[in-house]
Amino acid sequence: MDVLELARLQFALTAGAHFLFVSLTLGLATVLAVLQTRATVGRSPIHARMTRFWGRLYVTNYAMGILTGLVMEFQLGLSWSGLTHFAGNVVGASLAMETLVAFFVESTFLGLWIFGWDKLNRWAHLAAIWVVTLTAYASAYWVLVANGFMQHPVGAAPGEDGLRLTDAAAVLTNPSTLQAFWHVLAGALVTAGFFVAGVSAWHLLRRTPEQEFFGRSLRIGVFVAAPALFGSAITGGRQLQLIEEIQPHKWEAFSGGAGLARAGALLMLMAFAAMFFFSFLNVVLALSRRVVVTARPWHVALIAAIPLPYVAMISGWVFREVGRQPWVVDGLLTTRDALSDVSPAAIRFSFVTFVGVFAVLIAVNGWLLARQARRGPEPATAPLEVLV
Amino acid sequence: MTETLAAALFGFFATGYFVLGGADIGTGMMLPFLGRDGAERRQVVAAIVPFFLADEVWLVATAGLLIGAFPALEAELFSGLYPLIVVLVAAWIIRDVGLWARDRAWPAACDVAVTVGSWTVAGAWAWILAGLLTGVTDGVAGGAAVALLGAVVVALFALHGLSFAGLRLTGRPHERARALAGPVGDRATFALTAVVLAAAPLAAGARLEFAGAAADDATLRLLVPAVCAVLPLLLAGQAMTWWVFRHRVATPAGAP
Repeated sequence: MDVLELARLQFALTAGAHFLFVSLTLGLATVLAVLQTRATVGRSPIHARMTRFWGRLYVTNYAMGILTGLVMEFQLGLSWSGLTHFAGNVVGASLAMETLVAFFVESTFLGLWIFGWDKLNRWAHLAAIWVVTLTAYASAYWVLVANGFMQHPVGAAPGEDGLRLTDAAAVLTNPSTLQAFWHVLAGALVTAGFFVAGVSAWHLLRRTPEQEFFGRSLRIGVFVAAPALFGSAITGGRQLQLIEEIQPHKWEAFSGGAGLARAGALLMLMAFAAMFFFSFLNVVLALSRRVVVTARPWHVALIAAIPLPYVAMISGWVFREVGRQPWVVDGLLTTRDALSDVSPAAIRFSFVTFVGVFAVLIAVNGWLLARQARRGPEPATAPLEVLV
Repeated sequence: MTETLAAALFGFFATGYFVLGGADIGTGMMLPFLGRDGAERRQVVAAIVPFFLADEVWLVATAGLLIGAFPALEAELFSGLYPLIVVLVAAWIIRDVGLWARDRAWPAACDVAVTVGSWTVAGAWAWILAGLLTGVTDGVAGGAAVALLGAVVVALFALHGLSFAGLRLTGRPHERARALAGPVGDRATFALTAVVLAAAPLAAGARLEFAGAAADDATLRLLVPAVCAVLPLLLAGQAMTWWVFRHRVATPAGAP
């Protein structure tokens, strides 16, 4: 493999790993914020316990999201300095906004939420999770401002030394950004919904003592995922129309040919169709509280369906990014021209290092998530302890 | 004007990272010294964890500002320092996994990850700063002067970590932190090591060529005011973190 291919593969693996973690955290944060609001406003003990149990899984997953995100931020500088050099005035600035306006606040308040569980008063603690959730959305938005510009460069004009920002409003309201933003939010809620329903189904299938806890959680998962699926269908359909208008070469890759972009699109559509029909069944079955705790074959299906949203998310993303090739900024800068001047030895070194670290991260995350999920919620009388 | 302000913000976030992030990195380096058994090491890690998220965001913000406000400088530094940055980020991740996972699984392995990761992060920073201080901005520097300066920076990280541990711990680990960090009182010691460690990135930053490396004026005139506008919120979150976790971490009685 040459330097370009290695650098692309390295970025794809980094961004792909990051996206897997982020899709769950973004959705689960929303679910948690609502659960904790019910726990706090309604003084509901079961919702407080739910916040704790799902919060633990959320935190584990979030940690991995941060770590892969760090590598992504640094990799842009390491491997793709041509992109920041050419389009830094737009792409670099929106990534700077992401780190400062969104991530800085998000991570600080996440620390307060995790470790301040019995130190903050309950309203301040509730406010912390909402700050985390809203800044996570802001973070997704700013990243998609950069990404949307790479798909559909508007609001900038060529200057003597790369692109210059000419119309900030056009950059911030880029349709490629906004539609992807809503699509990612919907997809994240689908991911969280299937995750919550699947883990709950595992406990119900095993007949662990927490029937009410997981019966309710399962219903929450199902009733979050179903409307979110509709949302992702609508936003996805609108994106396809937009692609036909603004990225004809990506549309061609989608509608014909045999490339990776088309394979990604088809896999995404298949995963979506499977989830869509399955969700109809889920909603019908979840209407009966008795069926929720007794329908064992359904539980098995719910557990097996946990990976489906991930498949859809990752393959949809492959379609979006591979379909843009050979451009890094559509029509203006090729991926090859964006590559830093790095030696093959340097890129091999970083490739092996990061892929090795990621393999360990994903394995540790999967193992920790599975262990925590199996362990179940703490008994209602358990003393408070730090959520680490 | 906006360019100067952008450089000042960059310096502010970089210094913030070395003072705050340097504190928990240094404590991580001193983990085996401060905590001699599993329970004591758990106490030391418990002293760091409420802070490390709020500390490392300063570096993320610094890197973000570098990409957004000084893309040309970023391209020069990142390609020159490529191997050191790869090592820095990899060690940072290993250290953080140790911090996150310690109370969930494999505490002994996590302690090794935290210690080795912290030393490697400090070492990578020391090498980067020493190189910049000797005037090398487009490559990995070498030579006796760099090695010497690097050793000084590593020692500064360790001392700053001890003084942070002096603020956060009680019992035997606290005594060990105090023994090295000096007799002038925990807060004064921390202030002293903070000032000294802050001087390192500022001196290195003075060697950087900001002029001519900045983003276009149209971009800076949006980015810089936006950062200034959210700055109070960022600092409020930091202040809240220090206020909420102001109490020392007691020796864990019946650690689970």
